Amino acid sequence: MHNSKKIVLVGHFGVGKSSLIRRYVKNTFSDDYLVTIGVHIVKKTVQIGNDELTLIIWDIEGKEDMQKLRPSFLLGTSGFMYVFDATRSSTYINLLAEINFIETHYPKINLVTVANKLDILDKNTFEKIKEKHKLRVDYYASAKTGENVELIFNAIAKNLIK
Amino acid sequence: MTDADKLILLRELLLDEDRNFANKILEKIENLNETVNIDEKLSEKVEPIINRKLTTFVDEIPVKLGPTITEALSEQIKNSQDEVVNILFPILGKMIKKYIQSEMKTLSDNINAQINQKLSFKYWYRKFMSFFSGVSEIDFVLADMAKSKVLQLFVIEKGSGLIIASHTNTDTIDEDLMAGMLTAIKSFVEDAFIHGSQNLELIEYELYKIYLQNFPSYYIAVVISGKFDAVFKNKVENDLFDFANKHIKKNIGNKEYIEKKLKEYFIHA
Repeated sequence: MHNSKKIVLVGHFGVGKSSLIRRYVKNTFSDDYLVTIGVHIVKKTVQIGNDELTLIIWDIEGKEDMQKLRPSFLLGTSGFMYVFDATRSSTYINLLAEINFIETHYPKINLVTVANKLDILDKNTFEKIKEKHKLRVDYYASAKTGENVELIFNAIAKNLIK
Repeated sequence: MTDADKLILLRELLLDEDRNFANKILEKIENLNETVNIDEKLSEKVEPIINRKLTTFVDEIPVKLGPTITEALSEQIKNSQDEVVNILFPILGKMIKKYIQSEMKTLSDNINAQINQKLSFKYWYRKFMSFFSGVSEIDFVLADMAKSKVLQLFVIEKGSGLIIASHTNTDTIDEDLMAGMLTAIKSFVEDAFIHGSQNLELIEYELYKIYLQNFPSYYIAVVISGKFDAVFKNKVENDLFDFANKHIKKNIGNKEYIEKKLKEYFIHA
Protein backbone atom coordinates (compact mmCIF):
# COMPACT_ATOMS: atom_id res chain seq x y z
CA MET A 1 0.00 0.00 0.00
CA HIS A 2 1.26 3.50 -0.82
CA ASN A 3 0.64 6.39 1.50
CA SER A 4 1.81 10.00 1.94
CA LYS A 5 2.36 11.79 5.24
CA LYS A 6 3.45 15.30 6.05
CA ILE A 7 6.10 15.86 8.69
CA VAL A 8 7.31 19.24 9.87
CA LEU A 9 10.70 20.15 11.32
CA VAL A 10 10.60 22.98 13.83
CA GLY A 11 13.15 24.69 16.06
CA HIS A 12 15.28 27.81 16.32
CA PHE A 13 17.21 29.14 13.33
CA GLY A 14 20.61 27.61 12.66
CA VAL A 15 19.99 24.38 14.59
CA GLY A 16 20.46 22.24 11.49
CA LYS A 17 16.93 21.39 10.35
CA SER A 18 17.73 21.84 6.66
CA SER A 19 21.03 20.00 7.09
CA LEU A 20 19.30 17.01 8.68
CA ILE A 21 16.84 16.89 5.78
CA ARG A 22 19.58 17.28 3.18
CA ARG A 23 21.55 14.48 4.85
CA TYR A 24 18.47 12.25 4.90
CA VAL A 25 17.19 12.95 1.38
CA LYS A 26 20.41 13.60 -0.58
CA ASN A 27 23.04 12.22 1.80
CA THR A 28 25.07 15.42 1.56
CA PHE A 29 26.26 18.06 3.99
CA SER A 30 27.61 21.58 3.62
CA ASP A 31 29.21 23.80 6.26
CA ASP A 32 27.81 26.89 4.54
CA TYR A 33 24.79 28.20 6.39
CA LEU A 34 21.86 29.13 4.14
CA VAL A 35 18.92 30.48 6.05
CA THR A 36 15.53 28.98 5.12
CA ILE A 37 13.03 31.64 4.14
CA GLY A 38 9.39 30.66 4.50
CA VAL A 39 9.30 26.97 3.83
CA HIS A 40 11.13 24.40 1.76
CA ILE A 41 9.43 21.15 0.87
CA VAL A 42 11.14 17.89 -0.06
CA LYS A 43 10.01 14.30 -0.20
CA LYS A 44 11.40 10.83 0.28
CA THR A 45 9.73 7.50 -0.20
CA VAL A 46 10.58 4.77 2.30
CA GLN A 47 9.72 1.11 2.37
CA ILE A 48 8.31 -0.04 5.71
CA GLY A 49 7.67 -3.77 5.52
CA ASN A 50 5.17 -4.25 2.73
CA ASP A 51 4.09 -0.64 2.81
CA GLU A 52 5.53 2.26 0.89
CA LEU A 53 5.37 5.63 2.60
CA THR A 54 6.14 8.99 1.03
CA LEU A 55 7.30 11.51 3.58
CA ILE A 56 6.52 15.06 2.53
CA ILE A 57 8.98 16.95 4.69
CA TRP A 58 8.29 20.62 5.44
CA ASP A 59 11.40 22.50 6.46
CA ILE A 60 10.08 25.63 8.13
CA GLU A 61 12.19 28.74 8.77
CA GLY A 62 13.60 28.81 12.29
CA LYS A 63 11.75 30.72 14.98
CA GLU A 64 12.88 31.36 18.54
CA ASP A 65 9.35 31.00 19.77
CA MET A 66 6.95 28.26 18.63
CA GLN A 67 4.05 30.64 19.07
CA LYS A 68 5.43 32.81 16.27
CA LEU A 69 5.25 29.96 13.76
CA ARG A 70 2.71 30.33 10.96
CA PRO A 71 -0.08 27.96 12.12
CA SER A 72 -1.21 27.24 8.55
CA PHE A 73 2.17 25.62 7.82
CA LEU A 74 1.52 23.13 10.63
CA LEU A 75 -1.97 22.07 9.55
CA GLY A 76 -2.47 18.49 8.42
CA THR A 77 0.84 17.39 9.92
CA SER A 78 1.29 13.78 10.93
CA GLY A 79 4.56 14.25 12.80
CA PHE A 80 6.72 16.97 14.30
CA MET A 81 10.47 16.89 14.74
CA TYR A 82 11.71 19.51 17.20
CA VAL A 83 15.39 20.08 16.48
CA PHE A 84 17.79 21.95 18.75
CA ASP A 85 21.50 22.64 18.71
CA ALA A 86 23.24 20.77 21.54
CA THR A 87 26.02 23.38 21.53
CA ARG A 88 23.72 26.43 21.92
CA SER A 89 21.80 26.55 25.17
CA SER A 90 19.46 29.25 23.85
CA THR A 91 17.99 26.67 21.45
CA TYR A 92 16.95 24.23 24.19
CA ILE A 93 16.55 26.32 27.34
CA ASN A 94 12.79 26.60 26.74
CA LEU A 95 12.44 23.10 25.30
CA LEU A 96 9.83 21.88 27.80
CA ALA A 97 7.63 24.94 27.28
CA GLU A 98 7.94 24.57 23.50
CA ILE A 99 7.02 20.87 23.64
CA ASN A 100 4.13 21.72 25.91
CA PHE A 101 2.89 24.33 23.41
CA ILE A 102 2.98 21.86 20.49
CA GLU A 103 1.35 19.06 22.46
CA THR A 104 -1.41 21.38 23.67
CA HIS A 105 -2.22 22.79 20.24
CA TYR A 106 -1.63 19.61 18.21
CA PRO A 107 -2.51 16.92 20.75
CA LYS A 108 -2.84 13.91 18.47
CA ILE A 109 0.37 14.43 16.56
CA ASN A 110 3.60 12.56 17.22
CA LEU A 111 6.53 14.70 18.29
CA VAL A 112 10.17 13.73 18.64
CA THR A 113 12.99 15.90 19.93
CA VAL A 114 16.42 15.76 18.33
CA ALA A 115 19.69 17.12 19.74
CA ASN A 116 21.77 17.95 16.68
CA LYS A 117 25.48 18.80 16.19
CA LEU A 118 26.72 15.97 18.40
CA ASP A 119 29.87 15.93 16.26
CA ILE A 120 30.96 19.13 18.04
CA LEU A 121 29.89 18.34 21.59
CA ASP A 122 30.69 15.11 23.40
CA LYS A 123 27.54 13.10 24.18
CA ASN A 124 28.59 12.56 27.84
CA THR A 125 29.03 16.31 28.33
CA PHE A 126 25.58 16.87 26.91
CA GLU A 127 24.11 14.18 29.21
CA LYS A 128 25.09 16.34 32.18
CA ILE A 129 23.41 19.39 30.59
CA LYS A 130 20.35 17.28 29.89
CA GLU A 131 20.13 16.21 33.53
CA LYS A 132 20.70 19.75 34.78
CA HIS A 133 17.96 21.29 32.63
CA LYS A 134 15.72 18.19 32.73
CA LEU A 135 15.50 18.14 28.94
CA ARG A 136 13.47 15.66 26.93
CA VAL A 137 15.78 14.27 24.27
CA ASP A 138 14.46 11.45 22.11
CA TYR A 139 17.37 11.27 19.67
CA TYR A 140 20.93 12.49 19.27
CA ALA A 141 22.15 13.26 15.78
CA SER A 142 24.79 14.85 13.64
CA ALA A 143 23.83 16.07 10.19
CA LYS A 144 27.54 16.51 9.49
CA THR A 145 28.57 12.91 10.13
CA GLY A 146 25.14 11.47 9.33
CA GLU A 147 24.96 9.79 12.75
CA ASN A 148 21.41 8.59 13.50
CA VAL A 149 19.81 10.75 10.79
CA GLU A 150 18.31 7.91 8.75
CA LEU A 151 17.40 6.06 11.94
CA ILE A 152 15.37 9.03 13.25
CA PHE A 153 13.41 9.66 10.05
CA ASN A 154 12.77 5.94 9.60
CA ALA A 155 11.55 5.67 13.20
CA ILE A 156 9.11 8.52 12.54
CA ALA A 157 7.98 6.82 9.32
CA LYS A 158 7.40 3.50 11.12
CA ASN A 159 5.42 5.29 13.79
CA LEU A 160 3.24 6.99 11.15
CA ILE A 161 2.38 3.75 9.38
CA LYS A 162 1.14 2.01 12.55
CA MET B 1 112.09 22.49 9.26
CA THR B 2 113.17 26.06 9.59
CA ASP B 3 111.15 28.73 11.33
CA ALA B 4 110.18 30.19 7.96
CA ASP B 5 108.82 26.83 6.79
CA LYS B 6 106.89 26.46 9.99
CA LEU B 7 105.39 29.90 9.52
CA ILE B 8 104.32 29.05 5.94
CA LEU B 9 102.74 25.78 7.12
CA LEU B 10 100.91 27.56 9.95
CA ARG B 11 99.66 30.24 7.57
CA GLU B 12 98.37 27.60 5.14
CA LEU B 13 96.64 25.73 7.94
CA LEU B 14 94.95 28.89 9.20
CA LEU B 15 94.01 30.50 5.89
CA ASP B 16 93.15 27.46 3.73
CA GLU B 17 89.57 27.24 4.99
CA ASP B 18 88.92 30.97 4.43
CA ARG B 19 90.37 30.76 0.92
CA ASN B 20 88.06 27.85 0.03
CA PHE B 21 85.09 29.73 1.38
CA ALA B 22 86.04 32.85 -0.57
CA ASN B 23 86.39 30.75 -3.76
CA LYS B 24 82.92 29.28 -3.29
CA ILE B 25 81.41 32.74 -2.85
CA LEU B 26 83.19 33.93 -5.95
CA GLU B 27 81.82 30.96 -7.90
CA LYS B 28 78.27 31.73 -6.70
CA ILE B 29 78.62 35.38 -7.63
CA GLU B 30 79.74 34.36 -11.12
CA ASN B 31 76.73 32.02 -11.45
CA LEU B 32 74.39 34.78 -10.29
CA ASN B 33 76.04 37.20 -12.66
CA GLU B 34 75.45 34.76 -15.54
CA THR B 35 71.83 34.20 -14.51
CA VAL B 36 71.11 37.91 -14.33
CA ASN B 37 72.95 38.94 -17.47
CA ILE B 38 72.24 36.05 -19.85
CA ASP B 39 68.64 36.34 -21.10
CA GLU B 40 68.04 32.59 -21.60
CA LYS B 41 69.14 31.73 -18.08
CA LEU B 42 67.16 34.59 -16.54
CA SER B 43 63.96 33.66 -18.38
CA GLU B 44 64.39 30.00 -17.35
CA LYS B 45 64.29 31.08 -13.70
CA VAL B 46 61.71 33.88 -13.86
CA GLU B 47 59.19 32.48 -16.36
CA PRO B 48 57.61 29.85 -14.05
CA ILE B 49 57.17 32.48 -11.32
CA ILE B 50 55.50 34.93 -13.73
CA ASN B 51 53.25 32.19 -15.11
CA ARG B 52 52.20 31.21 -11.61
CA LYS B 53 51.43 34.81 -10.69
CA LEU B 54 49.53 35.32 -13.94
CA THR B 55 47.35 32.25 -13.34
CA THR B 56 46.54 33.44 -9.81
CA PHE B 57 45.79 36.91 -11.14
CA VAL B 58 43.43 35.59 -13.83
CA ASP B 59 41.66 33.39 -11.25
CA GLU B 60 41.23 36.33 -8.91
CA ILE B 61 39.96 38.83 -11.50
CA PRO B 62 36.24 38.01 -11.00
CA VAL B 63 36.53 38.26 -7.21
CA LYS B 64 38.88 41.20 -6.86
CA LEU B 65 38.11 43.26 -9.92
CA GLY B 66 34.52 42.13 -10.67
CA PRO B 67 32.74 44.57 -8.34
CA THR B 68 35.04 47.46 -9.41
CA ILE B 69 34.44 46.73 -13.12
CA THR B 70 30.67 46.46 -12.57
CA GLU B 71 30.66 49.72 -10.63
CA ALA B 72 32.77 51.47 -13.28
CA LEU B 73 30.53 50.16 -16.06
CA SER B 74 27.35 51.22 -14.25
CA GLU B 75 28.79 54.69 -13.68
CA GLN B 76 29.93 54.92 -17.31
CA ILE B 77 26.51 53.82 -18.63
CA LYS B 78 24.76 56.23 -16.28
CA ASN B 79 26.91 59.13 -17.42
CA SER B 80 26.68 58.43 -21.13
CA GLN B 81 23.20 57.02 -21.68
CA ASP B 82 22.80 58.54 -25.15
CA GLU B 83 26.05 56.97 -26.40
CA VAL B 84 25.03 53.57 -24.96
CA VAL B 85 21.61 53.82 -26.63
CA ASN B 86 23.26 54.72 -29.93
CA ILE B 87 25.55 51.67 -29.71
CA LEU B 88 22.94 49.19 -28.47
CA PHE B 89 19.98 50.34 -30.52
CA PRO B 90 21.04 48.75 -33.84
CA ILE B 91 21.98 45.47 -32.11
CA LEU B 92 18.81 45.25 -30.03
CA GLY B 93 16.70 46.40 -32.96
CA LYS B 94 18.06 43.56 -35.10
CA MET B 95 17.46 41.02 -32.33
CA ILE B 96 13.88 42.15 -31.76
CA LYS B 97 13.20 42.23 -35.51
CA LYS B 98 14.56 38.70 -35.89
CA TYR B 99 12.49 37.43 -32.95
CA ILE B 100 9.28 39.04 -34.26
CA GLN B 101 9.95 37.65 -37.76
CA SER B 102 10.44 34.17 -36.36
CA GLU B 103 7.28 34.38 -34.18
CA MET B 104 5.24 35.78 -37.12
CA LYS B 105 6.44 32.92 -39.30
CA THR B 106 5.39 30.36 -36.67
CA LEU B 107 2.00 32.05 -36.33
CA SER B 108 1.56 32.22 -40.10
CA ASP B 109 2.53 28.52 -40.46
CA ASN B 110 0.03 27.58 -37.76
CA ILE B 111 -2.75 29.60 -39.43
CA ASN B 112 -1.97 28.08 -42.85
CA ALA B 113 -1.90 24.57 -41.38
CA GLN B 114 -5.32 25.09 -39.78
CA ILE B 115 -6.83 26.65 -42.92
CA ASN B 116 -5.52 23.80 -45.06
CA GLN B 117 -7.02 21.05 -42.91
CA LYS B 118 -9.85 20.63 -45.40
CA LEU B 119 -11.02 17.28 -44.09
CA SER B 120 -11.64 18.47 -40.57
CA PHE B 121 -15.01 19.50 -39.16
CA LYS B 122 -13.45 22.71 -37.82
CA TYR B 123 -12.45 23.71 -41.38
CA TRP B 124 -16.04 23.53 -42.70
CA TYR B 125 -17.44 25.06 -39.51
CA ARG B 126 -15.09 28.05 -39.92
CA LYS B 127 -16.01 28.41 -43.63
CA PHE B 128 -19.68 28.32 -42.76
CA MET B 129 -19.35 30.83 -39.89
CA SER B 130 -17.14 33.12 -41.94
CA PHE B 131 -19.60 33.08 -44.85
CA PHE B 132 -22.61 33.97 -42.70
CA SER B 133 -20.98 36.30 -40.15
CA GLY B 134 -18.67 38.23 -42.45
CA VAL B 135 -15.74 37.66 -40.04
CA SER B 136 -12.65 36.49 -41.90
CA GLU B 137 -11.51 32.90 -41.57
CA ILE B 138 -8.11 34.04 -40.23
CA ASP B 139 -9.80 35.91 -37.38
CA PHE B 140 -11.58 32.68 -36.40
CA VAL B 141 -8.25 30.80 -36.44
CA LEU B 142 -6.58 33.52 -34.34
CA ALA B 143 -9.41 33.47 -31.82
CA ASP B 144 -9.14 29.69 -31.68
CA MET B 145 -5.40 29.85 -31.01
CA ALA B 146 -5.78 32.26 -28.09
CA LYS B 147 -8.46 30.02 -26.57
CA SER B 148 -8.05 29.02 -22.94
CA LYS B 149 -6.83 25.51 -22.31
CA VAL B 150 -6.70 23.46 -19.14
CA LEU B 151 -3.21 21.97 -18.97
CA GLN B 152 -2.97 20.48 -15.51
CA LEU B 153 -5.20 19.80 -12.54
CA PHE B 154 -4.24 19.08 -8.94
CA VAL B 155 -6.71 18.06 -6.25
CA ILE B 156 -4.95 18.94 -3.00
CA GLU B 157 -5.84 18.34 0.63
CA LYS B 158 -6.16 21.63 2.52
CA GLY B 159 -3.65 22.20 5.31
CA SER B 160 -1.38 19.24 4.73
CA GLY B 161 -0.89 20.00 1.03
CA LEU B 162 -0.94 16.28 0.25
CA ILE B 163 -2.02 15.37 -3.25
CA ILE B 164 -5.39 13.64 -3.59
CA ALA B 165 -5.25 13.30 -7.38
CA SER B 166 -3.74 15.05 -10.35
CA HIS B 167 -3.72 15.03 -14.10
CA THR B 168 -1.37 16.66 -16.56
CA ASN B 169 -0.68 16.37 -20.27
CA THR B 170 2.63 18.23 -20.06
CA ASP B 171 5.87 17.53 -18.22
CA THR B 172 5.87 19.07 -14.78
CA ILE B 173 7.85 18.96 -11.58
CA ASP B 174 6.99 16.36 -8.98
CA GLU B 175 3.25 16.53 -8.18
CA ASP B 176 3.82 16.12 -4.41
CA LEU B 177 6.24 19.05 -4.30
CA MET B 178 3.98 21.13 -6.55
CA ALA B 179 1.01 20.47 -4.24
CA GLY B 180 3.08 21.24 -1.14
CA MET B 181 4.49 24.48 -2.48
CA LEU B 182 1.10 25.66 -3.80
CA THR B 183 -0.37 25.03 -0.35
CA ALA B 184 2.50 26.89 1.33
CA ILE B 185 2.05 29.88 -1.01
CA LYS B 186 -1.72 29.83 -0.52
CA SER B 187 -1.37 29.63 3.29
CA PHE B 188 1.22 32.40 3.32
CA VAL B 189 -0.90 34.78 1.26
CA GLU B 190 -4.08 33.99 3.18
CA ASP B 191 -2.27 34.46 6.52
CA ALA B 192 -0.29 37.52 5.64
CA PHE B 193 -2.39 39.73 3.43
CA ILE B 194 -6.01 38.81 3.72
CA HIS B 195 -8.13 39.45 6.76
CA GLY B 196 -11.13 37.27 7.44
CA SER B 197 -11.85 34.01 5.71
CA GLN B 198 -10.96 34.85 2.13
CA ASN B 199 -9.02 32.56 -0.16
CA LEU B 200 -6.29 32.99 -2.72
CA GLU B 201 -7.99 32.49 -6.10
CA LEU B 202 -5.46 33.07 -8.85
CA ILE B 203 -1.71 32.93 -9.39
CA GLU B 204 -0.48 34.47 -12.66
CA TYR B 205 2.74 33.30 -14.25
CA GLU B 206 3.26 35.18 -17.53
CA LEU B 207 1.35 33.11 -20.12
CA TYR B 208 -0.07 30.72 -17.52
CA LYS B 209 -2.58 31.10 -14.74
CA ILE B 210 -3.18 28.81 -11.80
CA TYR B 211 -6.80 29.03 -10.75
CA LEU B 212 -7.57 27.77 -7.24
CA GLN B 213 -11.06 26.58 -6.38
CA ASN B 214 -11.67 25.94 -2.69
CA PHE B 215 -13.83 23.22 -1.18
CA PRO B 216 -14.25 22.46 2.55
CA SER B 217 -11.46 19.90 2.94
CA TYR B 218 -9.51 20.27 -0.28
CA TYR B 219 -8.91 22.65 -3.17
CA ILE B 220 -8.38 22.17 -6.88
CA ALA B 221 -5.54 23.96 -8.69
CA VAL B 222 -6.08 24.31 -12.43
CA VAL B 223 -3.18 25.35 -14.67
CA ILE B 224 -4.54 27.29 -17.64
CA SER B 225 -2.91 28.66 -20.76
CA GLY B 226 -4.37 31.29 -23.11
CA LYS B 227 -6.95 33.97 -22.40
CA PHE B 228 -8.51 33.65 -18.94
CA ASP B 229 -11.58 35.87 -18.96
CA ALA B 230 -14.70 35.99 -16.83
CA VAL B 231 -16.57 33.66 -19.22
CA PHE B 232 -13.90 30.96 -19.06
CA LYS B 233 -13.50 31.43 -15.30
CA ASN B 234 -17.23 30.89 -14.90
CA LYS B 235 -17.08 27.75 -17.04
CA VAL B 236 -14.12 26.32 -15.08
CA GLU B 237 -15.84 27.13 -11.80
CA ASN B 238 -19.06 25.37 -12.87
CA ASP B 239 -17.13 22.39 -14.21
CA LEU B 240 -15.13 22.07 -11.00
CA PHE B 241 -18.23 22.20 -8.78
CA ASP B 242 -19.95 19.66 -11.00
CA PHE B 243 -16.88 17.40 -11.05
CA ALA B 244 -16.36 17.65 -7.29
CA ASN B 245 -19.98 16.75 -6.68
CA LYS B 246 -20.01 13.82 -9.09
CA HIS B 247 -16.56 12.32 -8.67
CA ILE B 248 -14.63 13.59 -5.65
CA LYS B 249 -17.21 13.74 -2.88
CA LYS B 250 -17.67 9.98 -2.59
CA ASN B 251 -14.26 8.90 -3.85
CA ILE B 252 -11.72 10.72 -1.69
CA GLY B 253 -8.87 8.26 -1.23
CA ASN B 254 -9.47 6.60 -4.59
CA LYS B 255 -6.71 8.40 -6.47
CA GLU B 256 -6.87 6.19 -9.56
CA TYR B 257 -10.59 6.78 -10.09
CA ILE B 258 -10.40 10.56 -9.62
CA GLU B 259 -7.42 10.83 -11.99
CA LYS B 260 -9.21 8.81 -14.68
CA LYS B 261 -12.23 11.07 -14.39
CA LEU B 262 -10.10 14.26 -14.38
CA LYS B 263 -8.61 13.19 -17.70
CA GLU B 264 -12.00 12.44 -19.22
CA TYR B 265 -13.66 15.53 -17.86
CA PHE B 266 -11.15 18.30 -18.40
CA ILE B 267 -8.16 17.52 -20.58
CA HIS B 268 -10.00 15.93 -23.46
CA ALA B 269 -13.24 17.82 -23.03
